[in-house]
Amino acid sequence: MHNFEIDSTQIDKIKKITTEEKSFRIKNLEFFKATGFPNKRFEDWKFSDFKDIVDKNFKELDTKKVSSNIKKIDLLRDFEHNYILLLNGNLHSSNFDHEDKNKITINSYDKSIDYKRSKNPLVCLNHALAENGYSLEIDKGYKFNKVLVIYNLFTKDIKNKILNNKNKIKINEKSELHVIEYTINESKSKFINNVYESIVLEKNSKFKSLFIQSNKSDGFFHKFLKNKLSLNSEYLNLIFSSGLKFNKLDIECDLVEENSRCNILSALFLNENEHQEIKTLINHLAPNCKSNQKVKNVLSSNSKGVYQGKIYVKDIAQKTDAYQLSKALLLDDNTEFNSKPELEIYADDVKCSHGSTSGNIDHESLHYLMTRGLNREDSTKLLIKGFLSDIIEFIKNPKIKKFIESMLEKQINEH
Amino acid sequence: MKQQELEKSKEYKYGFITDIESVKAPKGLNEKVIRFISKIKKEPEWMLRWRLKAYNRLKNVKEPNWQKPKYPKINYQDLYYYSAPISAKDKPKSLDDVDPKLIETYKKLGIPLKEQEKLTGVAVDAVFDSVSVATTFKDKLTEKGIIFCPISEAIQKHPDLVKKYLGSVIPITDHYFATLNSAVFTDGSFVYIPEGVRCPMELSTYFRINASETGQFERTLIIADKGSYVSYLEGCTAPMRDENQLHAANVELVALDDAEIKYSTVQNWYPGDKDGKGGIYNFVTKRGACRGKNSKISWTQVETGSAITWKYPSCILQGDNSIGEFYSIAITNNYQKADTGTKMIHLGKNTKSKIISKGISAGNADNTYRGLVDINKKALNSRNYTQCDSLLMGNKCGAHTVPYIKNKNFSSIVEHEATTSKINEEQLYYCNQRGLNQEEAVGLIVNGFCKEVLQQLPMEFAVEAQKLVGISLEGSVG
Amino acid sequence: MLEIKNLQASINKKTILKGVNLTIKPGELHAIMGPNGSGKSTLANVLSGKNGYEISGEVNYRGKSLNNISVDERAQKGIFLAFQYPLEIPGVNTNNFIKTSLNSIRKSKGKEELDTLAFLKLVKEKSSELGIDEKILSRQLNVGFSGGEKKKNEILQMKILDPNLSILDETDSGLDIDALKIVAKGVNSSRNNEKSFLVITHYQRLLDHIKPDFVHVLSDGKIIKTGCGGLAEELEKTGYKKLK
Repeated sequence: MHNFEIDSTQIDKIKKITTEEKSFRIKNLEFFKATGFPNKRFEDWKFSDFKDIVDKNFKELDTKKVSSNIKKIDLLRDFEHNYILLLNGNLHSSNFDHEDKNKITINSYDKSIDYKRSKNPLVCLNHALAENGYSLEIDKGYKFNKVLVIYNLFTKDIKNKILNNKNKIKINEKSELHVIEYTINESKSKFINNVYESIVLEKNSKFKSLFIQSNKSDGFFHKFLKNKLSLNSEYLNLIFSSGLKFNKLDIECDLVEENSRCNILSALFLNENEHQEIKTLINHLAPNCKSNQKVKNVLSSNSKGVYQGKIYVKDIAQKTDAYQLSKALLLDDNTEFNSKPELEIYADDVKCSHGSTSGNIDHESLHYLMTRGLNREDSTKLLIKGFLSDIIEFIKNPKIKKFIESMLEKQINEH
Repeated sequence: MKQQELEKSKEYKYGFITDIESVKAPKGLNEKVIRFISKIKKEPEWMLRWRLKAYNRLKNVKEPNWQKPKYPKINYQDLYYYSAPISAKDKPKSLDDVDPKLIETYKKLGIPLKEQEKLTGVAVDAVFDSVSVATTFKDKLTEKGIIFCPISEAIQKHPDLVKKYLGSVIPITDHYFATLNSAVFTDGSFVYIPEGVRCPMELSTYFRINASETGQFERTLIIADKGSYVSYLEGCTAPMRDENQLHAANVELVALDDAEIKYSTVQNWYPGDKDGKGGIYNFVTKRGACRGKNSKISWTQVETGSAITWKYPSCILQGDNSIGEFYSIAITNNYQKADTGTKMIHLGKNTKSKIISKGISAGNADNTYRGLVDINKKALNSRNYTQCDSLLMGNKCGAHTVPYIKNKNFSSIVEHEATTSKINEEQLYYCNQRGLNQEEAVGLIVNGFCKEVLQQLPMEFAVEAQKLVGISLEGSVG
Repeated sequence: MLEIKNLQASINKKTILKGVNLTIKPGELHAIMGPNGSGKSTLANVLSGKNGYEISGEVNYRGKSLNNISVDERAQKGIFLAFQYPLEIPGVNTNNFIKTSLNSIRKSKGKEELDTLAFLKLVKEKSSELGIDEKILSRQLNVGFSGGEKKKNEILQMKILDPNLSILDETDSGLDIDALKIVAKGVNSSRNNEKSFLVITHYQRLLDHIKPDFVHVLSDGKIIKTGCGGLAEELEKTGYKKLK
């Protein structure tokens, strides 16, 4: 294979852990070592053979800790916001000047225990080695005044590394938080970012999150995101993660109490050998919940888009309303779109439907635009924008919407 | 909700057994048994060698276990692999030579061979427990150059055709049950339609499993030469039995340039009683190769029997402009389990595929649709349209859709839709208010749900299929 | 024809009908009006035998109690309900549906079933009587039908099935003048000494075209006033609140 250094001495170096936690970590490391990186024989990785991708792109890899410094970062100027700064996944600093700081608790996340055994080797690796990340908790009855931007900065010196981090957000009753995860990649080399994130929404709370890259990079990202939604809570996740060499976002949403609502939307523009997979599992475990997923991909020059979406409805989850749609626009040869929209349903009084389509730009529309004086390139760009526009409509804040639109415009223009 | 009424009177209509002496191979699966089968069928050396090749491979292959319905381990050594009624050991020259007891059995099945000619014009090749007993209409078909005979006969009389195509669509190496079938297949249909010929009638096969502990391993090969057309019906019935019976058939279809094959099945196997005991295990491999340009293969099936159904009729669309179609109704009730679907592999240019799958679950049943649409890189300008709908009745049953979609060609269009619904109580109330009782109302609504598929069936089958849909759902609405 | 004594009906622990008394003789047409939430549709549903209600009191049809008689049996005995919101049943051909329904009812009466030809003839006859385009019947049952088409379809079914007691649940809501006239024609052309009608309506408008023998006002689960045609006109002017 290649030079991949990982051993349990790393776990020994972790300070302040209980023996229980240590043995949990060691067990997970053993499991990872037994299976290695997931390959296409794993049902969940059928369309994204991670082992193959790693073999092709990395001659060496290690999980040694990196300590880095930065002087200052340029904050976004398009709108006012709070922020958390992560440096290579570690919590560096935060600023909540726009908010009532008494309501907010932010810490470095360092515990790694009480997690169910996972079949996903990357999650096991994370359970074994993750030491840093952030833990954010919002008190009851508090709605944020401004959005929270999480600057996820990866420094120049990150090369051939696997970074493992855990993040947690807990939003207590009746509170509301909007987050933008903004990734800035200064590394010109390849590295793997392996994250485990969990989000807990208590009764009547709301959470909106947006994920976007500032620039193209050779990052290989994997994130397992576990969400738990309680009574009457609302979750919205907007994914605009174009720009990464590889990204797999594995989202699990448990709708455990009635009237919870979960929306996962994505608009991706992939090119130049990029490979992105979005995988969702929505578990309807209680009645009267609603879920909606819409994934749109525009693919060009050797890129590959994958969507695996499963909707599971338990027998008591009557009156479930679940909808899923994935659409892909393939612009040229050598692109690939794979999807597996799955439904597993045990309750009969439900509304569940899904759709998946993929194809080329509609020639009629292209022709129409060209007869109105636009050249082929501009017409194509217009159609692509139109294709992705309904996802952007979910952003309510006009400044943020403008910001995202300009980012997407940049991505499309690079094509 | 109304109480469920146990209707003992509407028993499985075909549940009876014929008491005829059978010639059985000794129990078990080994080289001796395979040689026994080959000998008693008077097969040429090359056929025996082919079987043994498959048998040898079997030793290295494992039974698959990725499918959702789990079944109790089958003891392959505890089955008889060959059983034929004695009077058929030497082929009858005409219907008059056939054991009258057998003829009576066919009458009970509702296919009066002797009167077939006058009534429906359907040629029937009746397979009775591993040996074909009678083949009618041979003469009419021979006029056109159409070959429709048991496969054992084809091996002897048309070895070149058999050698050329047998195993070309489902190779011995494909998977466990395909390999098993290649080693021990006992009979099935062989059809060859010559160039430019349109088969003037629906071809059909009725077969049943009779002797206890005999798995049915039938092998069918249908070849449509350039520009030809054939419509083939497969209908099955089986008697009530306590032990589970295995049905692992292989069906290969080959369509050359401009040819069309229409293959319809109405599956009426014994589903197991209300508690899930007994019933047939239906593990079938069906594959069609659209080899030629502009060729077309369509599969239409109504599956309501079987304790466990596991089948994926597929189309390999090799020839440019070829078309593959799959229309299916799968009904599961009580404790039945079905894991069924299709594979459409697009290799050639401008190929089209259409999948319409309707699944109905009731009782404690489980119904899974598993499909694969694979658009190869070179399959320029191809199109797929898939619609899978599930109807759930009650909340103890489950419906599962697992479609895999792979699109490697940018000029192709793939569309997939799936919906799940239940029979609306308001709809039932509306029908009730127009004088229809619960059963009639359910039957009407379900038939409406399945309409698109039922329309694809040839007339003879459409009526039986509709009735079957009604009977299969008895006791499901309570 | 229909005798209702102290009918109470509740659903989900909420009592909706709180003691309704009503007698309809053969040949009579009764209209029921009332504010929203008074229980009009509940009354229609209870009379048709819909499941889910807890009932007490007496409901006698042609001298016999309707207790424990299922919805389809009541239909076979000659009770017809024209739905306020007729349902769509995809894949089911409308003609086929009505034929199955008609033959079910005929069978229960010991009559011979109609074959397709005879049925289509009957359909043609009845639809031309009413002025309804019979092509609507080759479509799927109520699928994609406009509100007016759905209601006309209900009336056509009524004409074909020929019931003894027809209950019309707000059949006039959402109809334009022409459709309204067709509904009225359907009812009026069926009136004779033996058939009875229970017309539930919100507005007086329908009763300009269908002259009722009696008008009842249902409010808060009880009939609070009974009169003849003039009562409807009065209500139009004064509204329901004044009655209380």
